[in-house]
Amino acid sequence: MPIPYVFDIENLNLFYGDKMALKNINLQIRKNEVTAFIGPSGCGKSTLLRCLNRMNDLIDGCRTEGKIRYAGNNIDDRDFDVIDLRTIVGMVFQKANPFPMSIYDNVAYGPRCQGVKDKHILEGIVKKALTEAALYDEVKDRLRESATSLSGGQQQRLCIARAIAMSPQVILMDEPTSALDPIATAKIEELIKELKKEYTIIIVTHNMQQAARISDRTAFFLLGELVEFAETETLFSHPKNPKTEDYITGRFG
Amino acid sequence: MMRHTKRHVKDQSLLGIVSLVSLFGILILILIFGYVFKNGAALVSWDLLTNDYYAEVYNSYYDGSLNDTEYVRPNNLSNDAYFSSRWGVAFTDDIDQEGHAVIRIVYVDPDSPLTRLLDKNTEGQTVVITAEQLLDKVIFTGNVILYSMDGAEKAAIKFDAATGIRDMLTSTEGKGIRGSIITTFLLIIMTLFIAIPFGVFTAVYLHEFAPKKSKLVFTFRRLIEMLSGMPSIIFGLLGAAVFIPFTTVFTSADGGNLISGALTLSVIVLPTIISSTEEALTVVPDEFRLASLALGANKTQTTFKVVLRGAIPGILTGTLLAIGRIIGESAALIYAVGTAIKDEIILTERSTSLAVHIWSIMSGEVPNFELASAISLIILAVVLILSLIVKIIARKYAIDPSMRG
Repeated sequence: MPIPYVFDIENLNLFYGDKMALKNINLQIRKNEVTAFIGPSGCGKSTLLRCLNRMNDLIDGCRTEGKIRYAGNNIDDRDFDVIDLRTIVGMVFQKANPFPMSIYDNVAYGPRCQGVKDKHILEGIVKKALTEAALYDEVKDRLRESATSLSGGQQQRLCIARAIAMSPQVILMDEPTSALDPIATAKIEELIKELKKEYTIIIVTHNMQQAARISDRTAFFLLGELVEFAETETLFSHPKNPKTEDYITGRFG
Repeated sequence: MMRHTKRHVKDQSLLGIVSLVSLFGILILILIFGYVFKNGAALVSWDLLTNDYYAEVYNSYYDGSLNDTEYVRPNNLSNDAYFSSRWGVAFTDDIDQEGHAVIRIVYVDPDSPLTRLLDKNTEGQTVVITAEQLLDKVIFTGNVILYSMDGAEKAAIKFDAATGIRDMLTSTEGKGIRGSIITTFLLIIMTLFIAIPFGVFTAVYLHEFAPKKSKLVFTFRRLIEMLSGMPSIIFGLLGAAVFIPFTTVFTSADGGNLISGALTLSVIVLPTIISSTEEALTVVPDEFRLASLALGANKTQTTFKVVLRGAIPGILTGTLLAIGRIIGESAALIYAVGTAIKDEIILTERSTSLAVHIWSIMSGEVPNFELASAISLIILAVVLILSLIVKIIARKYAIDPSMRG
């Protein structure tokens, strides 16, 4: 019996205009695991991440070839609604970007857009999401205050809570700690380990130690190609490809 | 070494020119404000703001006989008031809104014969002389005449000597600008009510929904920019040619009116609101749009729930500019609303805004610089207050500066 993959990426090519940004990517993401994408800048790891919730649709001149299946369905199919996809696949960005509204409204934003109006249901969702994002205790007395009054790390956890509030299956994280100090970073990493019990997490990171600390599997990209994909421990201790070894030992990148 | 000296001289002379020119600019501004303040400050008063423009004139006489009652001067009367104990009335010297010397009645005894005068124009109607009225002219029995330029002191003396009043002209203050203030605020409210939805939605379409590289959109944008530089008298013609006929068809109006004025002003401020809203939309970080879309919101939800909210400070700035334009507009309103100063403001009738009020009193045979300056000061104060309010609201919705760019 084949393993039920969350995402099954098959022969994926991606072009920005004439420039080929991803070359023949084949990759499977497993449920309830943390998968890390590493590689030097411009290697295409963030681009691949954005393919998974079709955020690349918003970029002019971006087109893909090949297949990305979510739970067996091709997400580029016409009858696969992109809005549905984005409610299943949440995303957390590099820079914490809470909306200029209250903490409560930030978390309730997604459900409200889906038409949830009942106050009690919304309150329940907000409380659950903030609790799961390990933020509830810090903000429970000031849910009506502006989200921009929070610290950088709190803002990023608020963004995670905002994504969780949609009860997604997958959470994509695009270098979520690159703008944070070590303490805030540690909190988010702790949170990611907690969250993988319920969600499948794909994280793009520049920080190899971070990938080693929190991920179950790691994919190493170079110049738009997937060089190596293996269990994190194996990839860091016995890299098969010499390029991978060069990168993780810091010979370049 | 030589090179350095040359650079130093160049540096210093440029700095000198810049300081000199800016000093000159500041001086001119101070001169203008100073002029307006010097001329107008004395006239600005609560009465000016609340009085009717048209004075009410009473023409009356006294037909009874005067008994020998000696009326008592009340204690709280100020020292510069002159009291006539025979008629129980007190006067002071004062100046009216136009700066002319007048006699003001400051006290009338409750039993004074002046409370039982008869109206000359309407048979059987009584006229009650009250404090705050102005004394214009009195002809006493025996043809003694009192004019307003005689002054308060002489008035008291002549009243004390008189045995009866054949003809007395008094009037309320008048020359107030209450009507024009109401018109101005009505115009602001109605114009913003029309222009903000149109302007904001147009900007949202242009910036968020319209195809980015469309020639048509590009042309449209250039046209809007061109409109914002158009002299307003042309919009006034548009108001007269299109909006006045339009309003006369749908309302009881028969000429210039406030509705056609608001419509004309809407067209004038529309380019301002469109471009400042568009600018505000540009400033809203793309991160907000991406975050919203990534949460499964569609384009409309993203635009109206997140992007527009982030653009509120910019929209308010545009609104403020629009209010400034509305308050300052005169040429277009002369056509679209008319130049007749009114006390009772009716939407379907002519009236004047404060700016047109200035135009109106300055275009008479004797231009009234003092009143014009006083109204200018009031306009300045209104603009100042409104801009403070807008600043406060804008601060509430301001985007965290770290999110910009």
